[in-house]
Amino acid sequence: MTNSVHDMGGMHGFGSIPLEDNEPLFHAAWEARVLGMMMTSMGLFGVTLDNVRSRMEHIPPTTYLKVGYYDKWLITLEELAVEKNLLSKDELAALAEGKEVPLPKTMEPIPTEGIIGFMATGATSARRIETKAQFQVGDTVRAKNLNVDGHTRLPRYVRGHVGTIIADCGGQVYPEVSARLEGDGPERLYTIQFTARELWGAEANAKDTVCIDLWEPYLESAS
Amino acid sequence: MPHDSHDHDHTDPPSDLTLRVKALETVLTRKGYVAPEAIDAVIDTFENKVGPRNGAKVVAKAWSDPDFKQRLLDDASAACAELGFAGQQGEQLKAVENTEDVHNMVVCTLCSCYPWPVLGLPPSWYKSHAYRSRSVIEPRAVLEEFGVSIPEEKEVRVWDSTAELRYLVLPTRPDGTDGLSEDALADLVSRDSMIGTGVASAG
Repeated sequence: MTNSVHDMGGMHGFGSIPLEDNEPLFHAAWEARVLGMMMTSMGLFGVTLDNVRSRMEHIPPTTYLKVGYYDKWLITLEELAVEKNLLSKDELAALAEGKEVPLPKTMEPIPTEGIIGFMATGATSARRIETKAQFQVGDTVRAKNLNVDGHTRLPRYVRGHVGTIIADCGGQVYPEVSARLEGDGPERLYTIQFTARELWGAEANAKDTVCIDLWEPYLESAS
Repeated sequence: MPHDSHDHDHTDPPSDLTLRVKALETVLTRKGYVAPEAIDAVIDTFENKVGPRNGAKVVAKAWSDPDFKQRLLDDASAACAELGFAGQQGEQLKAVENTEDVHNMVVCTLCSCYPWPVLGLPPSWYKSHAYRSRSVIEPRAVLEEFGVSIPEEKEVRVWDSTAELRYLVLPTRPDGTDGLSEDALADLVSRDSMIGTGVASAG
């Protein structure tokens, strides 16, 4: 679902920025638990960040716009837990109604140190690739008009537009492949600078630019 | 579905969400899939270990130490790791420097990517539909809502975090701060100044 509402860049109608003085880190205790569950269970579910993003993008657009940030995480966690047979919808529903449900222990969880250790070190998406760079810094390139019915990180607002490569970021996990859990499929990543006028027309400020990171398969030469 | 007057955009009453979350956590923990103390430890990390105070220390050091600043601009992840700030969502940090000619500002239009080790969790506005949609098409109008006016002749450069690079704005050091210690300088560095929706100010 490439062309869904999560791809918001350039849309109108969402109003002013909702600033909040002295905002708490979480607005409800359940939000923190959802964050904690996501961080502790992605390895268990065997999913990648791109796969999780793809699932959130597949939340129906009407729901996506209606619910809050952590609601989308919760929807995704529930979906994953059921899909991976960790629990049943019946168990979840019964518990949510306050019923007692037998929940026999089936495994030993990943130790806390392992989870926190992973958070502290992270896992880079950079990958060594042997293929020669198709483009060089300074090249003029066009973002292809791709409308893939799957996960992509090519936003609509740059498609078909011409920009300049300002950085070669080397090989990186390719989201289209990673989202399908088919490995890393690394491709070269570039940072492309577009003028605001190229993207938004003659009314835009003549000096302003938008820089965006795009993978080689998203690009074609416009020199 | 009932609507209540909760202060952000939930349609379910919080109690429903609380029950759903509790149900999920109960199953995951009792079956042994996830350790409840691991969930607590993750939350503790975000409440107490990562946050904009880390980024402010990085900026203050860059203002005070030209060699560190160069290392930060060359390889921000390595430079931040010198101060002990590293980890998930900070594996490939990139620092972008505000100058006389350029004001930088960071967004993630497709989701809400954010450099956790140096800034912690993003504020609600960063995740809002308004910020995600408008920052690329009308950054100056967005900045005005934060009280930031950029002269017409100065470039506003917006960084859309579409890949796994995470951007940190290196704000301009305020005038009149010569001789301040790194700790005192760090106090001048707001979270928003490192996203680019604010500027560092001497008060």
